[in-house]
This record gives sequence, structure tokens and C-alpha cells, in this order.
Amino acid sequence: MKNYFQNIWQSITTLLIGLGITIKHMFKARKGNVTLQYPEEKWPRPERNIGFDPKNYNIIRSKLHVDIDDCIGCRKCERACPVGCIKIDALKVPKETDLGLTSSGTTKRLLISRFDIDMTECMFCNLCTYPCPEDCIFMTGGPNSEKQPLDYEYSQYDRSRLIFKFANVTKNDIRRITTAPPVQQEIL
Amino acid sequence: MTIDNIIQWFQSWFPVNVMVLFITSVLIAAVVIFAIMAVNALVAVYAERKISAFMQDRVGPMGQGPGLHAGKWGLLQTIADTIKLILKEDIIPKAADKKLFIIAPFIIFLGAFIALAAMPFGPYLIASDMNIGIFYILAVSSFGVIGIILAAWSSDNKWSLYGGMRSAAQIISYEIPAALSLVSVLLLTSTLSMQGIIQSQAGTVWGFLPNWNIFNNPFSFLAFFIYFIAGVAETNRTPFDIPEAESELVAGFHTEYSGMRWAFFFLSEYGNMLVVCGLTVVAFLGGWQSPIAGVMEGAWWGLFWFLTKLTATIFIMIWFRWTFPRLRVDQLMNVAWKILLPIALFNLFGVAIWTLLVG
Repeated sequence: MKNYFQNIWQSITTLLIGLGITIKHMFKARKGNVTLQYPEEKWPRPERNIGFDPKNYNIIRSKLHVDIDDCIGCRKCERACPVGCIKIDALKVPKETDLGLTSSGTTKRLLISRFDIDMTECMFCNLCTYPCPEDCIFMTGGPNSEKQPLDYEYSQYDRSRLIFKFANVTKNDIRRITTAPPVQQEIL
Repeated sequence: MTIDNIIQWFQSWFPVNVMVLFITSVLIAAVVIFAIMAVNALVAVYAERKISAFMQDRVGPMGQGPGLHAGKWGLLQTIADTIKLILKEDIIPKAADKKLFIIAPFIIFLGAFIALAAMPFGPYLIASDMNIGIFYILAVSSFGVIGIILAAWSSDNKWSLYGGMRSAAQIISYEIPAALSLVSVLLLTSTLSMQGIIQSQAGTVWGFLPNWNIFNNPFSFLAFFIYFIAGVAETNRTPFDIPEAESELVAGFHTEYSGMRWAFFFLSEYGNMLVVCGLTVVAFLGGWQSPIAGVMEGAWWGLFWFLTKLTATIFIMIWFRWTFPRLRVDQLMNVAWKILLPIALFNLFGVAIWTLLVG
């Protein structure tokens, strides 16, 4: 009999303690909440430093970016890509046509009519960035954040939107430049 | 406004057949009660999600603006959920007993729906003030068990069946302490009419406390807690939610339901909360009586006080749900038969002696 009432008393008191804890949490919910309202707030991204001196080792595998104005169309990145997610079409142009210089001073000789990177296929190996003679293909952020800010949130509603098209010449441009008076061309 | 009042009012304007007037006024009352249930479900679901979130140090449904974000502070979350439930496919399993499967949610809903017909929301706001009001509510609210068993059986699913059987056992067991503690109230008020019970709780006791049944004597104070615990068990909510115990039985008796039929289960759960909390307020907390006798009384204040007390009791139910862990099946039966029932019987005896000696 004593045990019976002790049991009831114990359960009542412990339940009341539980109720007290929850109500306390309810009233200080604003202060103590642990939720991060994701699209509006973000956690600070930790600094990435694996301890090596060479800057390239501290690369962030975020998203490939191409400075298309610097690209000379050498296709080394396309060849380096193990999965073949980079597609480049480079057109020969008449010799007189001036396509300008890259930022490191190399003359551009080919017109990049297509530079597509399929980020659904990309496996973020970063192998395409090493052979680039003009350093114009790179991962965003990290050591490259002056060139291109970090961008790792590029999800899309449609898979085809993850094929990033970097070429900035229009069909009109291509027609205008390639149908210029034909001149004997050097082979690269 | 009882149904009789509406009929009389109509009769003074449109002198047509009484049967037609009767059906129209019953329909009006039904629509109003359905609206009350729907609004209650909308608000209570939102409140439940927010309160549970705050108790667990989360923020709950949030939005920074209208549109896809479900309104500021997630205010439109329940409406978005309702739209989603209406649009969802209504799946009926191949092996299900189709007719029973289709009507089961509505039978459960009916239990809560017709019980609200005798619920006094204010001094004049009651669909039907019958002289056996509390007995009617007790009888009719057990109607939901049939719906639960039908849903469980017709789903042709072992989890559903387990859930239904547990639910039936639980509701039938907890009906006894609940009814016994209500009977101890009836000894004090000596009427079965809902308005009569509330009217008998006017005035003050001990000079300062309102003369509600909970403060009337120590036995009815205990009866309040017994009724409330048994009531929580009757609504199948945590800590007594073994019928739908999601970690054991997937979702219990409504495992196989989807879309609007599932929404009816939800609606009736919140409707049951409304019935149990309303009955607690009427029987123990003075219904629409003001807490300070003679102050702020009248038709609209009555509605205000009733809704305030209702909100408070519903909040306590939500508070229970997000604090206590679920009871095991044997523990559940222990609580009902070995603890609540003896105390309720003792209480009934005590109240009887009290009424005999004190008055």
C-alpha cells in the first residue's frame, strides 16, 4: 500500500519537473533556439587551409568558372577532363581579324563559339585547371576569390540549367567574323 | 441561440412548413459547428507546431513573407497544408474493405461533430440545450471508437489493426474514470443540462475563489485532474497515443489513409480535443462564468471567458504532448484500472459524503 502511494507521488513530482523544463524552454525560445533560417542566414564558412604553402592546394571544390575573355581556345582543359564534361568549339578566324589580347598578353587567334561545362557530370577533380596556360579556368572561391567569389549553392529546378554556357559570342558575331574575306591561314 | 430559437425567429418571418424550418435551422447550426471545428483545427495545428518548436528550442514554421514561404512567422502554414491535403491523391488499398474504408473517417468525425451540438459556448450560444446534455456528450463521443475500429479493420493491415484494437481498449478503459469523475460533479450540481451545470457554478466560495466545481471541495479538485488525464487518453494524444504510436505502428489506424480522408482523422482529433476541453471547462472550470463574480458578465463576455478557458486547457494538452514520453500498453492499462479508477471511486464516495454533510 505504501509502495502504491509512493509510486503515484513519485510519478506526479517527476512529471511536474518535466513540465517545468518544457515551459522554461518555451519562454526563452527566442534566445536559445538552435535553428538557422537557411536561405536568409548562413553559417560562416570555415577557413580552408590544409597546411601547404602552394596556394593551389587550398583550392575549394566549388564550381568551375571560366574567364572567357582570357580563353585562347587551346582545348587543354577539355582533353584533361576525365569525364568529358567540358565541351569547346573554337572557330578559325581570318588572319586580319583582331580578337584582342588576354590579360597576360597572349594574342587570341580562335573564336570560342561554345564553352559548356556540365556541372552534373563534373567530379570536381580540378584537373582541368592545371594545364590552362592562361589560368582562365578555375574553381570559384578560395585562392581565386578575388577573381570570382565563392559560389557553391547553384542548385536548379532543371538538370539542363546545370550546363553552364560561358561562350559569349552570338550567332551574328560568328557569321560576321567567319565570313570576312577569305585569307590564307596559318595552321596553328 | 439554440436551434429552437432559430426556428422561432424564422417562423416569425417565413410562415412555412415547420419541417422545412427545422431542417434549415439544423443545417445552420451544423455549418456553424463545422466552422468552429475547422477554425479550431487550423489554429490548434499552428499553435501545436509553434509551441512544440519553442519547447524544443526550434523556431517552427517560419517564413519571411507571403508566397512560398507560408506567410510571416509561418502563419499560413496550416492553410498551405490543407490545400496540399485536398490536392493529394485519395488512395484506397486493393485489399481494403472499400465501403468501410470510405466511411470510417467520417464516422470518427461524426463523434466529435455531434458532441459539440450540446457544447455551450456562451450563455445563449448552444445548438441544443437538452436536459441530458452531459450524458449525451459522454454517449456520443464514444462513437469515435467505432470509426477507429472500422478504419483499422477495413485497412487490412496488421499495424492498423493493432492500433485500432489498442485504441478501443484504451478508450473503453478511460471512459470509466472519466465518467465517474463527471458523476461526482453531477452530485454537486444535481442537473445533467450543460447550461444548468454552468449556472450552478455562479458566485464565490471561501469568500474569494469563484464557485467553480474544481474549488468546491477537495474531492472535486481531485476529480478535475482525473477527468483531464482520462480525457487526454480519450483523445488518443501523447502520452496516451499508443493507437498511432509512430515508432511502433507507423501511424496506427490511419496508416493506409491519405489526402482528404486522412485530414478528417486529423480534424476529428482536434475536434475531440475541443470536446474534452470544453467538457472540462463546463464541468470543472465554470464554463462561461467570469472568474470574478459579478465582473465582466454578459453574453459576449461569456463567450470570451469560455474561449479563454478552452484555449488554456487546449494549451495544457499540447504542453503534455510535448513533455511526456508515450506509455507502454501495460502501463497504460495500469494507470487506468489500478490508479485512476480507485481514486475516482473514492472521489465519488467523498463527494457524496460532502454533499450530504456540507450541502
